[in-house]
Amino acid sequence: METPVPGKRQAREEYRRKIKEQTEGDGDSSAVKLPRKRFFRQRAHANPFSDHRLDYPVSPAHMDWASHYPAFVDPDPSKTNLSGARKLTREVEVVDIGCGFGGLLVGLAPLLPDTLMVGMEIRVSVLDYVRSRISALRLQQQNLKAIAAGNSTGQPSDTPAMPDVEDDEIGSTTTIVPGNYENITGIRANTMKFLPNFFAHHQLSKIFVCFPDPHFKARKHKARIISESLNAEYAYVLRPGGLLYTITDVEEYYHWVLRHFKYENEDGENGENGAEQTDAPTGGIRDLWELVSDEELEADPCVQVMKFETEESKKVTRNKGNKYVAVFRRKADPEWPS
Amino acid sequence: MASFQHPFRSLKYVKRQHQGLSDVLIASAGRHIYCYEAESGRRLDVWPQHVEISSKVASGPKSTSEDQAPPEKRRKLSSPETQAEEKPTEEILNSKSPSWTNIPMVLASPDGKYVVALTAEDKCIRVFSLSEDGKLQELSSRNMPKKPCALDLTPDGQTILCADKFGDVYSLPLIPGEYVKTRAQVKASKPAATTLTVHSKRNLLSLEQQLRQAERAEKAEKAEGVEKPQEEVEEKNMLNFEHQLILGHVSMLTDLISVSLPGPSGSRPRNYILTADRDEHIRVSRGIPQAHVIEQQCLGHTSLVSKICVPSWAPNVLISGGGDGLLLVWNWSEGELLQKILLGDSFQDSVVSGIWDISLDQPVGTRDPVRAIFVNLEGSSQLLHYSLESDSTLTLQDTIQLSGNVLDLVSMDLPGSVVVSVDTVREPNCTDTWKSGPASPQILLESLRANSFEGSLKWSVAEDSKLAIINAAGTSDLSTTLEAKARKAIDDALYNLGNTRKKSYGD
Repeated sequence: METPVPGKRQAREEYRRKIKEQTEGDGDSSAVKLPRKRFFRQRAHANPFSDHRLDYPVSPAHMDWASHYPAFVDPDPSKTNLSGARKLTREVEVVDIGCGFGGLLVGLAPLLPDTLMVGMEIRVSVLDYVRSRISALRLQQQNLKAIAAGNSTGQPSDTPAMPDVEDDEIGSTTTIVPGNYENITGIRANTMKFLPNFFAHHQLSKIFVCFPDPHFKARKHKARIISESLNAEYAYVLRPGGLLYTITDVEEYYHWVLRHFKYENEDGENGENGAEQTDAPTGGIRDLWELVSDEELEADPCVQVMKFETEESKKVTRNKGNKYVAVFRRKADPEWPS
Repeated sequence: MASFQHPFRSLKYVKRQHQGLSDVLIASAGRHIYCYEAESGRRLDVWPQHVEISSKVASGPKSTSEDQAPPEKRRKLSSPETQAEEKPTEEILNSKSPSWTNIPMVLASPDGKYVVALTAEDKCIRVFSLSEDGKLQELSSRNMPKKPCALDLTPDGQTILCADKFGDVYSLPLIPGEYVKTRAQVKASKPAATTLTVHSKRNLLSLEQQLRQAERAEKAEKAEGVEKPQEEVEEKNMLNFEHQLILGHVSMLTDLISVSLPGPSGSRPRNYILTADRDEHIRVSRGIPQAHVIEQQCLGHTSLVSKICVPSWAPNVLISGGGDGLLLVWNWSEGELLQKILLGDSFQDSVVSGIWDISLDQPVGTRDPVRAIFVNLEGSSQLLHYSLESDSTLTLQDTIQLSGNVLDLVSMDLPGSVVVSVDTVREPNCTDTWKSGPASPQILLESLRANSFEGSLKWSVAEDSKLAIINAAGTSDLSTTLEAKARKAIDDALYNLGNTRKKSYGD
């Protein structure tokens, strides 16, 4: 791995400090800059099995969401959860597992302005970027609203136009968007271990798994974010009718996904047609999931965001790679055996 | 100089009276399993047979220390089939001694006909038949891919559930049938990456190499007509017996219990599997074949969970303990925390190593049936006695002092009493300080009797002639002159919960 030379590290720290100051309100708020990714990059792989220094609530009833969604805090201060944190007026119900630099969240935010969404990422620096990016977006929105308010009251506006978009930066907004990015946030977490610490039974309506680390080596396959064991956990936090979205550019991983929802067997044959075959996958985890049809995917705007607005999807498009989408609907729990 | 005796690590009481047979106490100590007639304390069988004492003396203290140490950790190279017969190299010299040094768990099937045991170093689940005269006959041995941490049987007694260090739970039939390999051959490996998915110069170069190698392998195969076994097959595919991965945590599992609750009227009882892990979780899943349906998560511990217990007479209640100095009482089917008990300052750094539910219909000392919960912390010579109240809360009744660290506990019928196995080797309340020499007589088992005292129940250590016979017969010798390293290996095999705490805190 390349180790940053001292000068590079210093520049990184300096830059991150500045970005932080800007969003904490010390800087000049009229020209809010979005953070630049190059100062937040981190090795693409993290070991999900090691004990990282992680913050996670004892249980979902202990989670402090109020600091993440200040615009959605319940006005009644007497309403608190088990850790004494203020409650929200609604529950978080969309999760992007392995949100990376947060492209999906930013893309979805105006699409579902009344839905609280959270991105979860195990890499510290990358998560720092997501938090800075969201803070900057929220600040820009506030400024835009202030300008708009100024214009509508007929006062002459001497505020300069929006700052120029930074060279390698994307995503600065020049228009007011629904929700003002108040409905998205990012959290550092290892979801393979601690998803049930954050979300209660049937709390979520959508889970996204976008361009997961493919862990090409067979020895590393157990680190993959999709497995039958983990799919059981996703089913626990997802409500019946809820959707689990997956997208990958690795064909082999796409088949891995289908196989671990029991929609394909080891030989790559489709479980639907092979129902009569002796080795066709039946029962098991497939009891809980229904593969969503292509027509339905076409009509789903979330699929479009997933395919074209995440950082990774843009990279794949640039490299003319393939994108494989598989979406599963959570079925109701099966009947107990009688 | 006399030797220490290996303490009993795991005890099980097998009721067989309804079959007209005498009850049996099964106990593991060192690398052996012992069977005793419960009524008399007479030893019925030892498995495997004790090695001749003369050969042990001949080998001298040095090689004794060697065979006490667990075999070196090695990467699995051979298939489990050949490995079952194979003995680790250092053991070949002393071919009479088996390849494991301890047996952490023994179980008995509900019908009393089978015994299941785990041998530690070879990660092997062994099933025995228990004959009418109390002899053990090994029926099967199955090597698991990862170290099993907890075993239980399903309520029908037909399936073994095995929770392992990597967080996976496997189900295995108690009596393995003929195993037909589902996948006759594995397809030659082809890189999953393509030039569409990797882009950096270095990655492209290694992809090119991989493709070339795959091509070469294919050619070689065609030329020779021989199929080379694929090296990187998932390990579970290498198991040569029927097994199924039924659920998994991404964390080391510490305990597993299989519970049955009555279903709604007119329907069958509902089976559940409760699993506890090193990351503070207790998960409630449905039983087989719906173990992928997670019903609840009981979250409240702030350190590893080490033991869970559902009292036989109150199947809705779960008592859990771990490394946070707490006992939590749950209504587990609702995921509802009922009570939080602080174990007290003196136990703050200890890990709960045992929670036992004791139910005696005909106890000696009192006339009424006795129900009690016992709790022990790792490396402690005290037993905490709780009563489970009608509102499903625990009340501490008293603390019972034993002569050594408590290792396991079991209730016996006729006369109704509790038998506790204690550590004879180490000083009480120490996990690493050995006694200067064996006491005489060495107490391996102690008996507890219940007494009604001013309306409440007290337990006290009592004389028991059958236990005196077991204690006098001893188990197997453990040298008093082992080197520090060998001692530590034995200590760590017995007291390992403290080591499962999370220590490294890196990003």
